[in-house]
Amino acid sequence: MTFRATLKATTTAVLLTGATAAYADGHATHPETGEPLASEQTFVYWVGDESPSFDPGLTEDVDGSAHARDLFEGLMNQDADGNLIPGVATGYEVSDDGLVYTFTLRDNAKWSNGDPVVAGDFEYAWKRAASPELASPYSWYMGLMALENVDAVIAGDMDKEELGVTALDDTTLEVRLSQPLPYFPQMVVHTTTFPVHAATVEAHGADWTKPENIVSNGAFKLSEHVPGEKLVRVRNDQYWDNENTILEEVTALVITDENVALTRYLAGELDQTQVPAGQFPRLSEEYPDEAVSVPSACSYYYTINMTDTTNPALLDQNVRQALSMAIDRDVIVESVLAGGQKPAYTFTHWATAGFETPDVPSASMTQEERNAKAAELMAAAGYGEDNPLELNLIYNTNESHKSVAIAISQMWKQTLGVETELANQEWKTFLETRGNQDYEIARAGWCADYNEASTFLDLMDSNSGYNDAAYSNPKVDELLAAARTSDNPQANYTEVEQIIADELPIIPIYHYAEVNMQNDKLGGWPFNNFQQNWYSKDLYKIAE
Amino acid sequence: MLNLIIRRLTVAIPTLLILVILSFVLMYTAPGGPFTSERPLPAQVLANIEAKYGLDQPFWKQIVNYVTGVVTQFDFGPSFQYKDRSVNDIIAQGFPVTLTYGFWSFLIACIVGITLGVFAALKQNSWLDYLAVGFTIGAQVLPNFVMAPMLVIVFTLWLGWLPGGGWNGGAWQNMVMPVIALSTSYMASIARITRSAMLEVLNSNFIRTAQAKGLSMRRVVIRHALKPAMQPVLSYLGPAFVGMITGSVIIDVYFSTGGIGKEFVNSAFNRDYSVIMGITILLGTLTILFNLIVDLLYAWIDPKIRY
Amino acid sequence: MALNPQVSSADDVVEAMNLSTVQGRSLWADARARFFRNKAAMFAFFLLIALIIFSLFGGYLSDYDRETVDFSLIGANAYKGVPSFETGHFFGTDASGRDLYARVVQGTRISIMVGIVGAIVAVVVGTLYGATAGYFGGRLDGVMMRTVDVLMSIPFMFVLIIMLVVFGRSILMLFIGIALISWFDMSRIARGQTLSIKNKEFVEVAHAIGVHPLKIILRHIVPNLAGIVVVYATLLVPQLIIFESFISFLGLGVQEPNTSLGALISEGAANMSNGTPWQLTYPLIFFVLTIFAFFFVGDGLRDALDPKDR
Repeated sequence: MTFRATLKATTTAVLLTGATAAYADGHATHPETGEPLASEQTFVYWVGDESPSFDPGLTEDVDGSAHARDLFEGLMNQDADGNLIPGVATGYEVSDDGLVYTFTLRDNAKWSNGDPVVAGDFEYAWKRAASPELASPYSWYMGLMALENVDAVIAGDMDKEELGVTALDDTTLEVRLSQPLPYFPQMVVHTTTFPVHAATVEAHGADWTKPENIVSNGAFKLSEHVPGEKLVRVRNDQYWDNENTILEEVTALVITDENVALTRYLAGELDQTQVPAGQFPRLSEEYPDEAVSVPSACSYYYTINMTDTTNPALLDQNVRQALSMAIDRDVIVESVLAGGQKPAYTFTHWATAGFETPDVPSASMTQEERNAKAAELMAAAGYGEDNPLELNLIYNTNESHKSVAIAISQMWKQTLGVETELANQEWKTFLETRGNQDYEIARAGWCADYNEASTFLDLMDSNSGYNDAAYSNPKVDELLAAARTSDNPQANYTEVEQIIADELPIIPIYHYAEVNMQNDKLGGWPFNNFQQNWYSKDLYKIAE
Repeated sequence: MLNLIIRRLTVAIPTLLILVILSFVLMYTAPGGPFTSERPLPAQVLANIEAKYGLDQPFWKQIVNYVTGVVTQFDFGPSFQYKDRSVNDIIAQGFPVTLTYGFWSFLIACIVGITLGVFAALKQNSWLDYLAVGFTIGAQVLPNFVMAPMLVIVFTLWLGWLPGGGWNGGAWQNMVMPVIALSTSYMASIARITRSAMLEVLNSNFIRTAQAKGLSMRRVVIRHALKPAMQPVLSYLGPAFVGMITGSVIIDVYFSTGGIGKEFVNSAFNRDYSVIMGITILLGTLTILFNLIVDLLYAWIDPKIRY
Repeated sequence: MALNPQVSSADDVVEAMNLSTVQGRSLWADARARFFRNKAAMFAFFLLIALIIFSLFGGYLSDYDRETVDFSLIGANAYKGVPSFETGHFFGTDASGRDLYARVVQGTRISIMVGIVGAIVAVVVGTLYGATAGYFGGRLDGVMMRTVDVLMSIPFMFVLIIMLVVFGRSILMLFIGIALISWFDMSRIARGQTLSIKNKEFVEVAHAIGVHPLKIILRHIVPNLAGIVVVYATLLVPQLIIFESFISFLGLGVQEPNTSLGALISEGAANMSNGTPWQLTYPLIFFVLTIFAFFFVGDGLRDALDPKDR
């Protein structure tokens, strides 16, 4: 009660001070689109679980990143299409050798307590994120950015002060890399690179992100956090671009069961929620303006154990080919998932920036042709009715993974006579089993860290820590290494994709789509942002 | 009486210690650890994290450190999953929530259940009795993971009377559905037990005598029958209360109440060792305490019982 | 969800048995007669037999098996997968396009099996434990029964979840896990009974002529616990079935393509408002019937063995 009253009081105060008054007015219109704005500017959305953290240095999940993107602002932001736009930095310069980036910061950026945001805050935050004392699970991201000395700092062999980031003055930040990275500017959009308020962090330690302590520099500030229930953020009137923020309040509601979340959405309690697997067709028929599906930066595939702990049959390329061909991906995406996903014959997501999906033979065949070919290959490998192949497939406990596994095992059975034993495992057990190559075939998914094909294809490198197939092909390693410094890596990517499609250490199945129910009065949602990086400051509610 | 309390409390300490060791062993045998993730952490990063949480120490030392921390400072350690919350924070936030809706569910289950059971017994084989028996069996059989989403559909979507979830600091509107979902099956069990205990007492000689003396039925029931009939009910209440607290995971999952039940299940899935330990100890203590209270009540109801 | 065996019903049983042992052998005939007169119990008894037959042989009535997916039906469930005699999908299809009837048959089988096997394990362990403690008495009795007290204060629900996570997931683990939380009450009841049987002449005679204690327990004590054991087991079964459904809800139940009623209900509940209500109702009906049947048979047995209630 008191909270509400205070909130009302602040809102009134804001109204009186002028600048933002226009947007809270029922008759106001959006400055760019001219749409009429609703008088109540709030956004309530669903999250499936409590985030481990939204401390920029420690953030590790999608929802936590969304909290952090609202509460904090990094050097650069993305616009609705995923293009870089200025954030705290107004721009940057890069040296000729591509190793030194110099960011110029705006001088009017402020923390929520009124302190100016200075280059030193970034320097402090980056060194903190890489330090062994913080022991952030995402310190590897600092490594991915190839900052000078980052590996030694993480290892504790070098003081964090040696990290390749320096505040030259309050508005100039110099970043030194150990190797040129063409996509480096894209990487500072990530939450791990966001600044933190040094005095607050030092004063409160791990408790600094609690609502009563937190000091942040984003368009919103934290007003309430009840773990397991909700996280509320309200307009930060110290934000440099506050006059262009339209929403007054953003609430993330934790609802574990997505069906209950859907019920509550339909009851009007939420502005956005995820569509449970298989319910999209019905919902898009009943609520055509609200059910939305957009590509999202992940690929779904089955990884095959290529080591000698596997089923020997799987080491036969014909068998892997046959298994891949016998999967009717159209049925999977259109009937099982039915949410706008796209069938995949190659690994890299089709919508990845600058990437052109290469042609692979199986993609252009009809399913009948594929089935016929699959049966042929299986027979060539020596398996048939009198000698049926028996396989083991593991997936992590989840309704949608289960449906896909059931469908695929049946396709294999009905087309190839393969007997598949399904086993679902709880997440951590699953990761351990898969990571130790203690499986035959396992479900897997991979999401882009940045919008470039190497974020997917690097998994096929024999040295990659995420190469659960334990696949190794020197030719692939070579092509990937060359792609890193190449001006036109597409040729290499095409070749790698073709090799994978031929050798099939992984069987690509589909490319993800984000399937949501979303209030049709919510404006400004960045549907075209491939990585689904959204900022509440760009959102608004249209009047009824 | 005092003797009983002291004896129980001395048994409690080794019980809890066994519980700690058992959970520790089980936890560490579980595949995967708190920092196993889809993106395996580079060895150095993992080493940093393990050093931070003391997981690089030998196993026995971890147990000793843990027990020492708990005993000397009442410190259950930091959560491995939630970076800005300690186990004490998590319990301090979730436990009052669970206790609040658990308490109301318990109270309502007892009052309604006992009343229903008594009346069903008094009017044995009447329509009231059949209705009560039907209800009790039905309610026990309907899984509450079916009932909970149905309640949300009815009360939030169709009728629009109640918020579909959240705790909101314990506002009554947010409490209605959790209490219904949690109390129903216990209410049914209590009604069943009360009914059969009451029937037995009503058929006993001393009640027949009381009736024969011309006392009113009401007086007979309240003065004479109720107390002895409560014995079996009481022995059910201890396990029931603990069952409610542990069964609260479904409430937390469906109504986003943020209670301790979901925290525990999550911690098991996340391998959040310190949270698993903290909640296990909390619930173990509660179980012991509640069994003790029930035994004391037992002694109060039936002074013949000596411990 | 009543996860804890009902202490009271077990206590009733003890009293019933105390009386019955005094009355001697004619007890069984009397009890049988009383049970046959109890209409509700008899009805439940036949219902139970029908359910068991259904779960064992029901699959023969249908042309479909539990695992074959009809690819033309997935995604079109709400209008093509409806229950119908024409298509042969008596109960419709599940969300993956499989015949729901065949799955309900199998789910019923697994659920009943989990209940019965769990109850048997609990009863065997509990009886032997309790009989041993009761027969030897003294310090051994003290230690054994204190151990039970200690174990009973552990929130086993949680230990079970941890165990399922640890040991992976198999039906076997499920049975063992469930049995582990169910035998404590049985052991207390068995001990109490043993204490009263112990002083009967036939036991004392056996003891006097030097029969091995283990043999006495198995030959003379355990058989005299039979009645109580049967009643307790019947009442335990439905609780174990309910418990299994909760495990399934947590996603820790049986593996595909096997299923249990709990797993089916949990899937059906997820699709409750997705135009396929039959996915919830049919498994739920069988779940309710199964538990009803066990409850009433258990109650009937208890009443039959307890002449006081009449």
